[in-house]
Amino acid sequence: MAKKSSTESSRKKKSKNKIKNKLSVLNSEAKKVKGPKENPFESIWSRRKFDILGKKRKDDERRRIGLSRSIAIQKRQKTLLKEYKQSTKSSVFVDKRIGEQNDGLGEFEKAILRSQRERQLKLKKKDKFNLSDGEEDDFEIQEGGYFSGRDDFEDEEPLDEDEAGPSTGSEKKLNLEHPHEAEDGLESRSVEGGENRPKSKKEVMEDIIFKSKFFKAQKAKDKEENEQFIEQLDKDFTSLVQSQALLSLTQPSKMKALNALVNNRISNENAKKEDTDSLQNKLPLHQEKPDHYDKLVGEMALDMRARPSDRTKTPEELAQEEKERLEQLEEERQKRMFAADDSSNEEGNPSEDDDDESTKRIRHVSGDDLGDSFSQDATLKTKVGWIEEILKRENARKEDAAGSGESEEEDDDDEEDDDDGDDDEDADGSDEDHGEDEKAQSLKDWEQSDDENIETNLDEEEDEEEEEEEEDDDDEDDDGVDKQVDIIDHKKITKSGGKQNDSAGVDKIETTVKDELHQKGELPYTIEAPKTFEELNALLENRSDDQIVEAIRRIRTFNAISIAAENRKKMQVFYGVLLQYFAVSANKKPLNFKLLNMLVKPLMEMSSEIPYFAAICARQRLLRTRTQFCEDVKNTGKSCWPSLKTLFLLRLWSLIFPCSDFRHAVMTPAVLLMSEYLMRCPVVSGRDIAIGSFLCSMVLSISRQSQKFCPEAITFIQTMLMAALNNKQTCEDSQLYHLMELKTLRPLLHIQGRAEEIKSLDFLTLMDLPDDSPYFTSDTFRASILSAIIGNLKGFVTVYEGFKSFPEIFLPISKILHGLAEEDQIPDALKVEIKDVAQHITAKSEEHHLLRQPLRLRKQKIIKTAVPKFEENFVKGRDYDPDRERAERKKLRKRLKQEAKGAIRELRKDNYFLLEVKEKENVRMEEEKAEKYGKYRAFLQEQEHAFKSGQLGKGKGSKRRR
Amino acid sequence: MVRAYKMKGQKRKKKGERYDKGEEFEQLEENDMLQSPKKVKTDGSVLDKEEKLEPVFDEMPGIPVVPVDTGNKPGVIFILEKASLEIAKVGKTYQLLSSDEHANYLVKNKRNPADYRPDIAFQAIQTILDSRVNKIGRLKALYVRTQQGLLLDIKPHARMPRTYKRFSGLMVQLLQKLHITAAGKGEKLLRVIKNPVTQYLPINCRKIGFSHSSEKLVDMYNYVGTINNELDLVFVVGAMAHGKIDQDYVEDYISISEYPMSAAYCISIITTAVERKWKIL
Repeated sequence: MAKKSSTESSRKKKSKNKIKNKLSVLNSEAKKVKGPKENPFESIWSRRKFDILGKKRKDDERRRIGLSRSIAIQKRQKTLLKEYKQSTKSSVFVDKRIGEQNDGLGEFEKAILRSQRERQLKLKKKDKFNLSDGEEDDFEIQEGGYFSGRDDFEDEEPLDEDEAGPSTGSEKKLNLEHPHEAEDGLESRSVEGGENRPKSKKEVMEDIIFKSKFFKAQKAKDKEENEQFIEQLDKDFTSLVQSQALLSLTQPSKMKALNALVNNRISNENAKKEDTDSLQNKLPLHQEKPDHYDKLVGEMALDMRARPSDRTKTPEELAQEEKERLEQLEEERQKRMFAADDSSNEEGNPSEDDDDESTKRIRHVSGDDLGDSFSQDATLKTKVGWIEEILKRENARKEDAAGSGESEEEDDDDEEDDDDGDDDEDADGSDEDHGEDEKAQSLKDWEQSDDENIETNLDEEEDEEEEEEEEDDDDEDDDGVDKQVDIIDHKKITKSGGKQNDSAGVDKIETTVKDELHQKGELPYTIEAPKTFEELNALLENRSDDQIVEAIRRIRTFNAISIAAENRKKMQVFYGVLLQYFAVSANKKPLNFKLLNMLVKPLMEMSSEIPYFAAICARQRLLRTRTQFCEDVKNTGKSCWPSLKTLFLLRLWSLIFPCSDFRHAVMTPAVLLMSEYLMRCPVVSGRDIAIGSFLCSMVLSISRQSQKFCPEAITFIQTMLMAALNNKQTCEDSQLYHLMELKTLRPLLHIQGRAEEIKSLDFLTLMDLPDDSPYFTSDTFRASILSAIIGNLKGFVTVYEGFKSFPEIFLPISKILHGLAEEDQIPDALKVEIKDVAQHITAKSEEHHLLRQPLRLRKQKIIKTAVPKFEENFVKGRDYDPDRERAERKKLRKRLKQEAKGAIRELRKDNYFLLEVKEKENVRMEEEKAEKYGKYRAFLQEQEHAFKSGQLGKGKGSKRRR
Repeated sequence: MVRAYKMKGQKRKKKGERYDKGEEFEQLEENDMLQSPKKVKTDGSVLDKEEKLEPVFDEMPGIPVVPVDTGNKPGVIFILEKASLEIAKVGKTYQLLSSDEHANYLVKNKRNPADYRPDIAFQAIQTILDSRVNKIGRLKALYVRTQQGLLLDIKPHARMPRTYKRFSGLMVQLLQKLHITAAGKGEKLLRVIKNPVTQYLPINCRKIGFSHSSEKLVDMYNYVGTINNELDLVFVVGAMAHGKIDQDYVEDYISISEYPMSAAYCISIITTAVERKWKIL
């Protein structure tokens, strides 16, 4: 401040000649002081740390730090400093001169303002003594209320008001103008009043009444208009009906109705004009006629609408559907193939069983599963369990029967009923095949028993069938399953070997041979299903093969299940009988292979119709065969290899039932039985080898699709190959030698001489040959059987290619093969084959070895990754918290913090400022003090000096004197 | 000196393994008091435990023990130089500038559109983070220096977005907010950090720059083979369309092909060489 004043004074001295401009200079003084003395720091703008292209800087972001600092200091000087200076004062001098507080005003403007105020005051004084008219009274009162406390002497009050701002001044002007407006009348006043003050109650009520009246009038008007409009429409419509345009668009009958309608209306109008009595006459007519239009509408509503028909499907679509169906079936098959490894405890508690199954399924559900695979699960369960369920019931039934105290015989009969032909098959087998009379029943015995059964059978069978009916009902629920079975069977037909091809050809044969049938003794067209084996035998005796097939076909068509409910029972009986017939004819000495082939087809079809029964039959037969086999194995003297009948039956079942199922009520025991044969039967003769290799090929065909591992077949092949080796070579191979010992005591297949040729062996002829036929020891046979075995091996190799344990399974065999290939006697063609297989095995096992990885204790761990969180369209400063409230709170807290910080900063700066001021004052005081001290001291010193030098008073005196 | 007031607050819990060693480093700088001797001690004890556990597996008979990576092994650090990651306000939104999207905008602002190639950096980052070196946990750090001179620190365990669009969104947010946290927890996966980059590099490291203009043409695998196994490797690769990197801290400039190569492919060559050297499959 001191500086400022000093500069001011210096300026005044310099510009003495420019006194004219003094006023303007005074006005712009503040600005000009700042202008030349600009602080260089004040011109520096704040800089952004990360400059972003295209981003505009906001005003609050754009600032000059130096400038704002100096501005803040100036502000403090005006406010804080003044307060500080007055803080020690008890009274304040308030300068209330007009314009004195406002820095922006110049001297001249201040003068203007002051003169204005003076004039205004004069005007008001004049007003005060003006007498008003009556109308102006209200206004005057209002004004008076405002200026009630006004006094002549209080000149300062208006001054105060003026300071409050120009707005009050303008208000006053308004007030001054009011008297002129007041003359406009009451209404304008009320409007004015509405603007300025709240309405009175009366006015509000008036308003409401007025509004309601207005709305009523509006309503009435609307109604009138509507009526007019409707009339107009009616007129238009009549004119339209009478014109031809509508006629062309609508049906004639409806047109008539329309016309009637219009006429009616016209007549109605007439009627209205007429007197009331005529109206009464017309009333009945009136009541009849107005329904025309309604009728019309009703008719229209009842009109038939065209129904959209199903689109005819294109051949592509049909093919697609078929393909989808097949795909679905294949999927189902796969599912069954890889069924979970659940226990099939047949005797077990069903509910428990189910629980087990379900739990195990759930365990194997993959991570992608949604968890709602419940329904699928349920269906699966039924699929797997349906045959087992039946078996359970069967067992239960048996137990019931036993429990009821029936004799053992009857029990036996029961069993016989169950599987019908089972017993006699076995009996037949033992009878005819081996020609030995043993403990097994003779055919006659069996027949007798069967005869006895017939009566009891019928009763019992009915019971049984009833039960089965129930079961069938059940199975009809899951019809799809049955169908699948069918289809899979059919597939099998096409896939597997020669027999099926024959059976496929049967149809054609049937048609062509019909003539023949007539020649040979006519078949009845309607044949009742035979209930026993004798009946069937009687029917089919002395018939040609084609006739037999035709007869079966007729029986099936006549007793088709779909025709009558009781036919199911009949067919079940017939199925059993037919199966028995098949088995018996398989055992006949001059084997009718063609007939067997032909029988396959109806059997398969029937078993697809009655799957439960077929499965039961098969199981019972398997059970019998197995017990028989166990007996035979104990008898060391006897050959225990299966008979031709058993082989055929096994083959038949492998065709009928799906082989690839993970667990099947028939196929699983069948495969197990075959493996048992391969494992336990000692190989004694050449025929045994033939049967064994046949079984192997059957196992191969079964396991081809399911890829189930059957170690027995492999071991059999291995031992057979070893049998082809030299004696000394086999001795070296100690690991498998015990197998050799068990099975063959001598190298049965070792080729001694040169084999001329390798021919494909006919299995049936081999079976016909006696055990000790010289052919079995011939080299030709050996070479051919070896080639057959190697063919089998090849099949197994290809089937088991994918196994992890492939090298372990097949490498020992390949070693034997190499040994075989080195032998001289083996024909070249066979050698090539052997080498081929061996090479294939080694190549594959090498591949497997390559894929194997060393066992690791734990997997290499991957670092855990984290996903960065970011917004799609990020805007800086926006809170992306999904919880609005929290975001809001955060924002508030942030602001609070900011404000608090700002306040602290301000306070601190204030303190600094004050401190600075105090410091300055102190310094100044110190200086003053020192100066004064020095001054006094100098005075004293001077005095002392004068005193000491003896000039005290002399000087003065001398001065005075001079 | 009295303890810092901050010390009284809750300590951050130690959760499992930490891949972000850099953060610790940072903390040390920021408040050296926070890294009290206690914490160091716990670190040591954890390591001791791991070492104690190891022999147990060794002793188990018949089971071959595959060497498990421990944290002590040397790692790799990548530095991408001159990445063109720049955002601008286009219209009302902020966008990552790229030559094909904002050609007109760039021309209007008197920039050369050819210089704006964020896709190079995107590819390079993706290649680095997808490499087996990273999967096994031996990528120590990844720094990206933009053309403007900003230094970005990307954590190796960050799963960067796979599409360019999302990447650009991420960059827009990173360059405005200066850090990106992990979803779910507060860990910072991407950060803008202070220059120079050398302060973050380990003491014992070899800094290798790649430049096609370099006289030293080497086979990458052989070159990596010659480097001491104890050293950390720092690779400095340019992520720009034109020009070359020229940084003081780089000890050795090499060229690994006779042909000029894209950054991503160059990185893939480097990572494969390193993987082969360390036998990472």
